[in-house]
Amino acid sequence: MTARLLKTRRLDGLSLFGLITLGILLFLGIFGPLLPLGDPTRIAAGPRLDAPSPHFPFGTDELGRDFLPRVVQGIRATFLLSAIAVAITAVIGTLLGLMAGYLGRTTDQAIARGADILFAFPALVAGLLVAAVIGPGQVSAITVISIATLPLFIRVVRSVTLGVAGRGFVTAAEVAGASALRVMLVHLLPNVMGAVMVQLTYALSIGMIIESALSFLGLGVQPPDASLGSLLRQGSGYLTIAPWMVLSAGVVLSLAIMSVNLVGDAVRDALEPLKGRPLT
Amino acid sequence: MRLVAYLLPRIAAALITLFGVSLLVFLSLRLLPGGYADILLGPFVTPEARAIIAQRYGLDQPLVVQYMRWAGAMLSGDFGVSMVTQRPVIAEFLRRAPVTLQLALIALGVALAAGYPLGVLSGVRAGAQRKKRDFGRLVGAMGASVPDFVLGSVLIFVFSVWSLWFRVGGYVPFTADPVGNIRSMMLPGLTLSVFGVALILRTTRDAVLRVMTEPHITAAVARGASPGTIIRRHILRNAAIPVVTVTATYFGFLLGGAVIVEVLFSIPGVGLYIFNGLLNRDYAIVQAGVLLAAVVFITINMLADILYALIDPRVGAVR
Repeated sequence: MTARLLKTRRLDGLSLFGLITLGILLFLGIFGPLLPLGDPTRIAAGPRLDAPSPHFPFGTDELGRDFLPRVVQGIRATFLLSAIAVAITAVIGTLLGLMAGYLGRTTDQAIARGADILFAFPALVAGLLVAAVIGPGQVSAITVISIATLPLFIRVVRSVTLGVAGRGFVTAAEVAGASALRVMLVHLLPNVMGAVMVQLTYALSIGMIIESALSFLGLGVQPPDASLGSLLRQGSGYLTIAPWMVLSAGVVLSLAIMSVNLVGDAVRDALEPLKGRPLT
Repeated sequence: MRLVAYLLPRIAAALITLFGVSLLVFLSLRLLPGGYADILLGPFVTPEARAIIAQRYGLDQPLVVQYMRWAGAMLSGDFGVSMVTQRPVIAEFLRRAPVTLQLALIALGVALAAGYPLGVLSGVRAGAQRKKRDFGRLVGAMGASVPDFVLGSVLIFVFSVWSLWFRVGGYVPFTADPVGNIRSMMLPGLTLSVFGVALILRTTRDAVLRVMTEPHITAAVARGASPGTIIRRHILRNAAIPVVTVTATYFGFLLGGAVIVEVLFSIPGVGLYIFNGLLNRDYAIVQAGVLLAAVVFITINMLADILYALIDPRVGAVR
């Protein structure tokens, strides 16, 4: 699969833009604390609500904290939380999807209905319920992201598995005496990985939207920690007098989600080549 | 008859889903820290008071009995009473529902009016040139990537500095002042629609691309039909089917999920009501809100299934 990804001609401008942006943001997220950007929590590093200047490129907030290191801290939190949630969900969802598609019958019915049930909750409304039950915070955010993205994995993996399960090599493995577990993990799993990769990127972008939305509502990351969503919440209180907070956090968040989406598109394009036709 | 055979399993599945959703909501609220008695009475209560409350609300019964009572009450339209105002929750929801419905309809209208034609155009162009890269992909990627509360915040900033014609905040009921209502609802509606534009554009584009490789299109090209005719007669209708599904899903989410836009623009709809219910620890509201949102979502998806069967005569046909 990787070979096919690498082989796809040259990347077009948009995909390249996505890849580079994602690379920069991930670099900032991972190595942010080591970079000489200043302390995100130092109060009165400069004047309060100071407009962007060479010294404070993203301005300062209402406590005089430099906003640039806070945004970098936010990138880290937003990526990390969504990535953890999506990674857990992808593993569970892939296993459930394989079971539903391969074992069929009652197992399939139960898992498919379960996915329907989770899918019926609008993410943010479910977020309010989760926040009511386990309280606002990071665990809440991870739970909500999982509820929203688990059905996506289950459905896609199930439908791909259904298509592959009837093929010769699966029957051959069964006849050779492979256990159901072995058939699923050794023979079916490699065949659904492409679809899982595509879903992974979309789920990550959904996860980032949900995380930042919850934090924006004050239900996700709690102060003094910062995610891009909670920075937007902080900035929205000073929108008319200090718009740089909302603008810088908002633009970075949008770029982050967009870069993940564009990389996802590129992965999908590589795995599902386009067959079009001229109409004349 | 064919339609009935097609719909019955779907209705059964919807009912099972509904049952699962209600069970999940019921159980999650049993898990609330402290439980009902503590929420109602606060931390400093005598065991006697606790016992009285437990008895009045049936908390001393087995969980199954509690669930049956609870579900029975819901089915007869009793969604509980707000702990803060002591008024029936369902009445408050019905009072606010038209506001959210209006918001959702504006968003859906904009999303369809912009997303569908752009998607067809982008799909036909991309397919004809055998290229994946075109404006459709850029618009789709941007629309799906700017979160609604970021866009909303920017719009609020722009239009509170240069007021122009739109109004930021200050909701006016349609019956009191139609023009003022539109002025205050347009920005939230547009904000909410952006994700939908991207979603419908991408779905349409993919559907068009898929339809274009089918043999009947090749046949039409061989017959010498003009591109316009092929698009009108062979592509539009076939590509509409996935779009119907996605539109229904989107609409279901809009009705239940307008929370953040309503909070941002102070629109007194259902979403803001549920959010305030959470802030006030008025759990009856949150519980009813989640349940109603899921019911609406499931119902709309079932209607989409019916519409599906009407658009496409092949659906449910015996093969």
